[in-house]
Amino acid sequence: MEIERYGTNYLEERKLVKRWKGPIPAIVCLIFTLVIFYATWWIFQDPRGLMRMYTPYVGYMYTRWWLIVLIWMVYIFNYWPFPRSWLNKTHPLLKGVVLTAISVGVLYVLIKGFFEGLLGNLGLAYFNPEQLLKLPGITEFFAIEYASLACLMFAAIASWLSPAWIVACEEAPWQDLNQPSKGISIWIATFFLSTLIYFMTMHSHMGILYYPWQYFTSIAPPYWEKFADTVSGNFHISWIMCCTVSVWLVETIWERYPFSLIKRNWLRRIVAFFGIIAIAFAMHFFLYFVQELTWGPAIRGTRRDFAPDWRWLHVGEMAVIFLVPALFIKFYCGNWPTKFSLPVNVLIRTVIAIIAAALIYIFYYKTSHLFLGTQKGFSHPQQFPMIPTIWLIDIWLAHHWFMDNWPGWKMVPKTAEEIAQEHAEHEAMIKDVRWNASFGWGLGAGAVAGVAVFFTTMWILPILYNAINIIK
Amino acid sequence: MSENKDKTSRRDFLKGAAMGVAGGALATMLVYSYSPWRKRHFAKVERKLEDIGVCKKVNITNISETSWFDNAALMGDIKGAGGLLVNQYKYNWPPFGDGTGLGNGSYEKGIAKIKHLLPDRLEEAWEIISANSVHPDNAGGYCALIEVEELNGQKHKYLLDSGWSYKWMDECFKREGIDEMLKNREIEALIMTHEHFDHFWGIPVTLKYDPTITMYIPEGVYPEGLQYVKDSGHQGKLVKIKPGLNKYIPGMASFLFSVPIICRVYGEQSLYFNVKDKGLVSVTGCCHQGIIQFAETAYREIKYENDNLHGVYGGLHISPFEDWDPKYDDLAISLGKYGFEKVGCNHCTGIICAKKFIAAGYPVVRGTARYRSKDTAYLGNGDRIAFGV
Repeated sequence: MEIERYGTNYLEERKLVKRWKGPIPAIVCLIFTLVIFYATWWIFQDPRGLMRMYTPYVGYMYTRWWLIVLIWMVYIFNYWPFPRSWLNKTHPLLKGVVLTAISVGVLYVLIKGFFEGLLGNLGLAYFNPEQLLKLPGITEFFAIEYASLACLMFAAIASWLSPAWIVACEEAPWQDLNQPSKGISIWIATFFLSTLIYFMTMHSHMGILYYPWQYFTSIAPPYWEKFADTVSGNFHISWIMCCTVSVWLVETIWERYPFSLIKRNWLRRIVAFFGIIAIAFAMHFFLYFVQELTWGPAIRGTRRDFAPDWRWLHVGEMAVIFLVPALFIKFYCGNWPTKFSLPVNVLIRTVIAIIAAALIYIFYYKTSHLFLGTQKGFSHPQQFPMIPTIWLIDIWLAHHWFMDNWPGWKMVPKTAEEIAQEHAEHEAMIKDVRWNASFGWGLGAGAVAGVAVFFTTMWILPILYNAINIIK
Repeated sequence: MSENKDKTSRRDFLKGAAMGVAGGALATMLVYSYSPWRKRHFAKVERKLEDIGVCKKVNITNISETSWFDNAALMGDIKGAGGLLVNQYKYNWPPFGDGTGLGNGSYEKGIAKIKHLLPDRLEEAWEIISANSVHPDNAGGYCALIEVEELNGQKHKYLLDSGWSYKWMDECFKREGIDEMLKNREIEALIMTHEHFDHFWGIPVTLKYDPTITMYIPEGVYPEGLQYVKDSGHQGKLVKIKPGLNKYIPGMASFLFSVPIICRVYGEQSLYFNVKDKGLVSVTGCCHQGIIQFAETAYREIKYENDNLHGVYGGLHISPFEDWDPKYDDLAISLGKYGFEKVGCNHCTGIICAKKFIAAGYPVVRGTARYRSKDTAYLGNGDRIAFGV
């Protein structure tokens, strides 16, 4: 009897066939998902809409946790308990509705049951608004906001670690288990790690959120104060968001390169896990520096765009904007280009994503207040570009993972030969990147050019920023 | 054969170069971007040292700092209407209540019910407002009387903002004698810091006693706000303040900050006074730009006595709803290094924040907690503070 595989390798083993030629499927899917985005934004998030969850933390919390639930369902549990035959044969619309409904159900149980009910009542009061309301002077609005903030800070960590265990650690050591054993094992491991990192990065932020500082339950002032120039946990939000973005860059437009070049399994996994963190820290520091160059150095104690805590938050916001074009290239553009060598393909995609991210950034801040109900300006306390961007990403993930890019594409299972051929091509592409003298000279010259690119960018950024009037 | 080898070698070089560019750039980003070396890229602050003149002294009377009386009711309304981003004219708060309930209001529908009564018949207007608005009794307002004496002895009086509730503000004006000062045309101008309901919506109370008063408003006031000034019966000069420094009289200037503010408001002006032998005094409505930003701007822009930051009065917008965030601790920790010698805070500073200032040893001027002000930790309604005396 054959063991049910559920969705294991479903994403790799499905062939998405374009329904129309050229860019039409991508354009159709973009319009389709943007319509869903705007309709759902109006229903759930918009301050002028129906449910008005963009308070902002309530909407932000649900947006982030929905992202993680989607990752759990697809990457960790491989669509379990849905059998492969159901995934292969069911109409994408029905699949989309059923799987999205389940993700929302899990999301609700997680927030209301686990965080508010269990953790908030039996462990840490700040996860439950009702417990917070017992504090003298606190209003219901801020009780809900604080509890949502705690939940979403946890979510930030989980949104990095949950996919990292799959992308970097390649499910080890549970890769050979069947579902749901594999999913449960990875879920527990990543949730445990998320909890540890939450306590080391975010708990102290929550501990000083109340008067007086909670010296006996958290490190107050937090240990990062001098280094980050703020006591705010936004310093951690920043690098953790960059970790989330790095994981997905590595997984999508980088095709797990350059880590895939390492042949030894254990070494590749460890280097990939910590390499993603290193890339994230490079983004974390760089995007902070970018702000210092364009707006001037941060001044501790100020509000808005000069405050170090906001600058760190904005690093995360910029990083997430970078993820939007990267995912679009992977999901709807077939990871274009693919005709060059792996390093060249990756470099071209990265440059495209950077340019597209800069354009999206300008477009967002020029127009978002006109149609999303947000406030004009970069640094308004209730201006969270991460919410609409992650909301759009959530919709793209549901569309790509649950609906097989319907209606632009049609899903056809690949044959065994096609799968074997694809693996062989992938292996060949990796083997194609091999060490020799020319490669070495290229690497050296490229590294020098990379340093030059950095300093040229530093020189040109303030000039560019001053030349473009983003907010009139 | 050789051509193939060249091709391979060129291709391998490109592969290596592509990898190297990314690696080189990422490594430099990691090592350099947050290192002390990066500071060499920052432009040196050049002080403009604009001369705003010098005044002899500034006296401030707190007419009302209690913008609302119950935080829970206000935040409940904000939450119910959809959060802090909702346009303030939609809340259905007084005076623009139209009877359709929380979050469903508009300026046009609200003003239509009371326009014919403004600015003279405010008691009748308030009865209509109370019947149609959400939580009318929670409305208070922010307003202060500023008395400036020039070096030659000439004295000037200004009103800073006009509060919110017609009823409450009228009571406060009578309590502090503002009604008589306005009737006697002793007050030269009404300076509006920003468009927020608790500072802006009480305009008819000032105009009831002096409809000809000169008004200074920030350039970012929305069309509803501009229309409200007209509908309230203003007959005097209306001056729209532009972003940046604006001089009033010798020793007095304002600075308009183009900042986005909750409830769909944009821009706030705050005041600078250069007091003889003392230094700079900062007077604010809510200071949404942040007091440290305000102080840093003064350092960059203007010249002041002894290069000293002497005092501050007003809302510092730290915890207006008695909420807290670690970034506020950044302010509470950092404020000390600016060396203010007299801190007269209230309103949106928040009581928690005032207590943190006191605990940090800052020279906070305590209040008397009268006329519905809640705590002696800061200057309350009817309290006074003087700079340069």
